[in-house]
Amino acid sequence: MKRITDILCVFRIHLARLRREAGPFVLAALIFPTAMYLFAVAVSGAEEISDEKRLRFLAGSIVFSLSMTSISWLGYLLLENRFTGRLKLFATLPLAPSSYIFGVIIFALAQAALGTTTLLIVARALGVRANVSIASLSLVVLLTMLCLCGLSVSIAARARSFSEGSLLTDSLGAGLVFLAPVYYSAQAMPAALSSVSKWLPTSFAASGVQTALTGNFQAGTELLALALMTLMTLSLGFRLMRWREE
Amino acid sequence: MTTSANKSIRAQSQTSAPDVAEENVVRVRGLVKRYRDGTAANRGIDLNVRRGEVVSILGPNGAGKTTFLRQLTTELKPTSGSVEIFGVNAVAEPESAKRMMGITPQEGGVFETLTVLEHFELFARFKGLRRREARLAAFDVADELGLGAEINKRVGHLSGGQRRRILIGLALLGRPPLLILDEPTTGLDPASRQTVWKVIRHVVAEGSTVIFSTHYMEEAERLSDRIGIIESGRLAAFDTLDKLFARLERSYRVEFSDPFDPLVEKSVRYFATFAEAQEHTASEQLSEYSIARASLEDIYFALTGERFVKAEEGEGA
Repeated sequence: MKRITDILCVFRIHLARLRREAGPFVLAALIFPTAMYLFAVAVSGAEEISDEKRLRFLAGSIVFSLSMTSISWLGYLLLENRFTGRLKLFATLPLAPSSYIFGVIIFALAQAALGTTTLLIVARALGVRANVSIASLSLVVLLTMLCLCGLSVSIAARARSFSEGSLLTDSLGAGLVFLAPVYYSAQAMPAALSSVSKWLPTSFAASGVQTALTGNFQAGTELLALALMTLMTLSLGFRLMRWREE
Repeated sequence: MTTSANKSIRAQSQTSAPDVAEENVVRVRGLVKRYRDGTAANRGIDLNVRRGEVVSILGPNGAGKTTFLRQLTTELKPTSGSVEIFGVNAVAEPESAKRMMGITPQEGGVFETLTVLEHFELFARFKGLRRREARLAAFDVADELGLGAEINKRVGHLSGGQRRRILIGLALLGRPPLLILDEPTTGLDPASRQTVWKVIRHVVAEGSTVIFSTHYMEEAERLSDRIGIIESGRLAAFDTLDKLFARLERSYRVEFSDPFDPLVEKSVRYFATFAEAQEHTASEQLSEYSIARASLEDIYFALTGERFVKAEEGEGA
């Protein structure tokens, strides 16, 4: 029970931040991804864009939103906690580091739910015809977020300075999306880059989201890959996040 | 000033602390901290703190005070040696040890988007208080620290001194039996400092033990039962103020200035007796002088040698 209370308190502390300073979240999770969708549609070249392409761009924008929420924005908050002495306050308490991590992950998941739902509503208003499988989409979003949050926690725990950490989270947040074939096909990429990008979590996430947007449950490979990557990044995050210095 | 909620929590925390046969609630043995670059910040510190004591830790910047306190609070793992808090091995079981401590770190940061009340309530919940108890404790602590009027303000709108008092308040929540405060009054104005002193006296009267570091001699003198002086990573002295005074062979201080050049810094000389001090003023025909008992500052300088180093540098220049 104490553990659940601890996790919820960490969540509430960060939620207060979101309530009072919603600007960065709205920008990173909603405005940029929406703009990217419109941009992708505009430069796609075809006069009459197919539904399949629209769904691919929407899937890309959802993954972009998840990446910005979990790596750039969450990473920034975690780095700020660490380098402004707030993490020290948590470290002075009888609180397990894992409770802190779970608290911030729940915070990130709440933002992901809000961001994804809003993007789906915006897409509908823009005329995208999606037949969303809620269960499948939720599962892909959950695993994507857990995987990417593991990366932010690891960076925030090990960065040597605030500037180093924020540069890493910013470039990773955007880079993981643009290196994955989400706004363009894999064939358009150079061969060397393509062989790397197909293993990125965002590639599996985009493919899984696109499948879920067509009402299909068959995203087994993507889910399995994301689950394995989640296991790796979260294990690393839990291992690196410690209260005590050596 | 303290509600029943805080008292009941206090009773709980005290009963939850394992009974220790002896009075010592903190027991440190052979504490060594050597960093990877080879710097030895603590070089074998032994120290016992008794239940209900106020212990202050003094020392020049970089002497190892904060390193020592960070090892007590489990934030830093010792290279060797042991730390026991109420009989709990703090090195092996940091979370259990932290249940008995309220800690104010030297460089702790507050959450600017939270109000004072939210800070106190949420952190009280972390310390195991129920929702209602947490709320009562939050109001209690805010009143004790003179933050009652600011309780619904966001911390981002408060001054540096008020934020510092919030950090002290976070340590007080739940009335832990041991408080460890790293330079709690640094940056506070005189009135706020007096408020913090009052709070420390109050928690000690209720049975808590307090260990704090400071650069203010007056603070150490007024609050402490025993004073520890750390110099180059070693505990150079650890005793009551009276016993520390007894260490000085010459405990009378004559401070005098040159009547022809008042801008020159005052000179200080020490004497074993008051009569010797008077004799000196007469033989030197001093017209502007004061004779006083040596202070903690004099003991501090005698033990750390800081003033003498400065004087030598001045002479060389």
